[in-house]
Amino acid sequence: MRRGARAALLIGWLLALAGLGWMISQRLHVSTDLRSFMPAPTTPDQRLLMEQVGEGPGSRLLLLSIRGQSDARLAALSQGLAAALKNDARYSQVLNGSFDLGALDERLLPYRYLLSPTLDTQPLDQAYLADQLQQRLDDLSSPAASLLKGLLPRDPTLEVLQLAERWAPAKSPQLREGVWFSPQDEALLLVQTAAAGFDPGAQQQAIDGIRQAFAALPGSAGATLELSGPGYFSVVAAAQTRHQADWIGRISTVGFIALLLLAYRSIGSLLLSALPIASAALAGIAVLTVAFPAVHGITLAFGFTLLGVAQEYPIRVLSHRRAGEDALASVRTLWPLLLTAIASACIAYLAFYASGVNGLKQLALFTIVGLLVAGFSTRYLLPHLLPRRVHDVAGMHWLIQARTFVDRLPRPRWIPLVVAAAIVAMLVLARGPFWQDNLAALTPLPPELLQRDARLREALGAPDVRYLLVLEAPSAQGVLELSERLQPKADALLAQHAADALELPSRYLPSVAVQRERQATLPDRATLQHVLDQALQGLPFRADLFRPFVDDVQTARRLPPLTPERYAQTPLGQRLAAMLVERDGHWLGLGTVSGVHDVAALQALGADSHGAVRLLDLKAASESLVVDYRTRILQALAAAALLLVLTIALALRSLRRAWHVLAPMTLATFLVLAVERVAGVEISLFHLVALILAGGLGLHYALFFERDTGDAAEQRRTLHATIVCVLSALLVFGMLAWATIPVLRAIGLTVSLGVAFHFCLSILMAPHARQD
Amino acid sequence: MSLLLSLLLPWASASASEQAAAASTLIAALGQPAPAHTAFAEARFLQMLDRPLVVSGELAWLGGDRLQRRVEHPQQETSTIADGEVTQQREGRSPRHFSLKRAPQLQVLLDSFVALLGGDAARLQQAFEVHQEGDARGAWTLTLVPRDARVAKTVASIRIDGYANASRCMHLQEADGDLAVDLLGPLAARMPAEPTREALAALCQSAP
Repeated sequence: MRRGARAALLIGWLLALAGLGWMISQRLHVSTDLRSFMPAPTTPDQRLLMEQVGEGPGSRLLLLSIRGQSDARLAALSQGLAAALKNDARYSQVLNGSFDLGALDERLLPYRYLLSPTLDTQPLDQAYLADQLQQRLDDLSSPAASLLKGLLPRDPTLEVLQLAERWAPAKSPQLREGVWFSPQDEALLLVQTAAAGFDPGAQQQAIDGIRQAFAALPGSAGATLELSGPGYFSVVAAAQTRHQADWIGRISTVGFIALLLLAYRSIGSLLLSALPIASAALAGIAVLTVAFPAVHGITLAFGFTLLGVAQEYPIRVLSHRRAGEDALASVRTLWPLLLTAIASACIAYLAFYASGVNGLKQLALFTIVGLLVAGFSTRYLLPHLLPRRVHDVAGMHWLIQARTFVDRLPRPRWIPLVVAAAIVAMLVLARGPFWQDNLAALTPLPPELLQRDARLREALGAPDVRYLLVLEAPSAQGVLELSERLQPKADALLAQHAADALELPSRYLPSVAVQRERQATLPDRATLQHVLDQALQGLPFRADLFRPFVDDVQTARRLPPLTPERYAQTPLGQRLAAMLVERDGHWLGLGTVSGVHDVAALQALGADSHGAVRLLDLKAASESLVVDYRTRILQALAAAALLLVLTIALALRSLRRAWHVLAPMTLATFLVLAVERVAGVEISLFHLVALILAGGLGLHYALFFERDTGDAAEQRRTLHATIVCVLSALLVFGMLAWATIPVLRAIGLTVSLGVAFHFCLSILMAPHARQD
Repeated sequence: MSLLLSLLLPWASASASEQAAAASTLIAALGQPAPAHTAFAEARFLQMLDRPLVVSGELAWLGGDRLQRRVEHPQQETSTIADGEVTQQREGRSPRHFSLKRAPQLQVLLDSFVALLGGDAARLQQAFEVHQEGDARGAWTLTLVPRDARVAKTVASIRIDGYANASRCMHLQEADGDLAVDLLGPLAARMPAEPTREALAALCQSAP
């Protein structure tokens, strides 16, 4: 190709990349919600888990502590922070212990006679009123008088305070200076975020908002604000992972560039060989932005890792150049093999697409598009740009020696048998569970964070994030009625210390039926006035003082019962809304449990309810979800493996040659699994993803080693290309294996081991050059 | 004439700073070591009620910001203020707790009592504007007006009548017109069965 045409091609290519980059910058919306990387739930418990993981009241709760100042200053900071966050749309609830009568709306005040259970056991008669009025008289002569004076004419039985007590957290922390304090002298707050708990991006914003509001408070400089809770953990885990991945990525990039410079001694070739990878990445993202409304951050991170395979294509082209030969000519001879490799990798990634998980579908689409773009640009664009004069690697002295060494290696036919036996033995001998089902184990948190969380949770009496009591009924009223029937049993369990607290939805709103029953027991105006007058005899209260009370009772008799919809508009309604959810025309009540001591007793609550009441163990549900997830991926992989065998066999047109390619690859894959198991590693989904990546790389090695060109120089070039590929993969993934975060370590270790095993086995099991 | 005036109103002509100094001297003289106990009888004149509420018992300063008010008649009841929290205990009922912040009346009571019993003029002047009047016989009156606007919304003023080194009466005037009069020490025994505002004012002004 002429000089001018080459320049035009290069400029055109770069322009196309710039265009893709611009399109991505316009359209790309990165999502961080981890749930799009979880499989579609199949059982009702799993569906509930998915909702609860993001939206549940427990997962959206942030626990805050402020320490390092005098109680009075800390209390002022607590009040200031609560006031600042209360009107912020990012937070749906802020609690710091300061008692707020405003929780019950003024218009709803007459509803106290329908909401409170006091009158269920106690008619509003003369004896009751007389006793209550006498107590109020005592109150008026006590220091509490100024608190109650305003309330008295409207509410002489203090029903509002009874409700407030009923709704207060079952086990609330110590109150000092009017706000919650921990035994360690920290002011405590509970903040419920509007954002989902496992959406690190949105949680980061919520946490930043809290920190900014705190920093803006006068006197906050000398105090320390600490956070805890699922949302905070998701932020910490994401930041930790990103931090380690970043520095490891930087080091390995520098090493990778140094390695390629050493191998090809040409900066031009190095820069040009980056073009197919850049095209692959940009085209992959561009297709994602068209196909999906939002691209997940994890898709991008894993996608770039998996695209590492594509770096092999230009490396193969560079290594296989002969002195004086046109780049186009050397690509043409390589192309059938490259095409086979690309097609097989794409088939393997199709398995991800079949998994049905949104995040994995994105990953599959990204990788397949990327591999195709990298492959075809390596074949049809790159050769036109490569410099004519090249340094033929085949003549390098060390390479000749290396090839001779490799050729002299013994290749006994029993190698596969020995390796297979070793794999079986190691898998049998390995101890501990085979699979790692606990997703949390993959992004572990520092133990001091977990200890702090446990301590704050205990101090605040915050509900356990693991267990939920699920009540199911055809209607919201059905759930509330079920909850009312369950309440006595729940009270009995608490008395036996099966749990510290158990909150059912009917605690906040009784069913319509119960409200109507309570309405029916309220006396009419004449009756009430009569018993009130009788009760007031001998007491010094002014004659018409309690008119507002009589009015309220009359209003309560005629009120339409309070429904969840009407209740939702009040501050307390938010609390109920989190405990009462509709799904598919069915209603679910979610009872929160704190301080579980006896799981079996709690499970027994639903024993004879025919499934209407059950204890949901979110941890067990998440593990069952992971198991289902893995089963689907394994099934998809099995199908992909079958397709792979067919593809290779068809491409090589020989079952024997296909065996030479597939046998080392399969053995190496299982060998990695076996070695990791013997080392005590529990296999997670990330190990599976990494095994597939390593398998893709191994397939290349096997394909190229199996190729019989009958040309010693070409065999040397194959060895050169493979060594460069193996070293670069070992560099990148070996670094990752040193990470302390298990997800990164899982990928790094698995791919490094895989690359090493694939390389050795494909050399040892390749048909010997001299045998042919 | 000026001599007569100065004899009749020994402190009336004194300058503001002299008056403050005199108040400090008086307050310092009122101080007692903790724990200090004193009998009390209280009459509360409330607009809600046709007649005043009368209770009696013992007030105790336990040192620091801890105060106890024990009512013996007509019902047993103990209220304790400690660590910013009020605990109210009534016979046969579970104790009631609330924050001092929610009861400004109590905060005022605490501030004035602790400062008076501790002889801490500075603390008293920090929480209140203090006015003092007195006569040659040794009778005096301290008027305390809360400086905190939030507190002043419920408590308009406190007036303490005394003689020599002893407080005898405390009048707590609430902003809504309600009034509590506490007879302290030996005077507590002289609470009338059906007190009126006027009768109590006379009692407080009477010679010991």
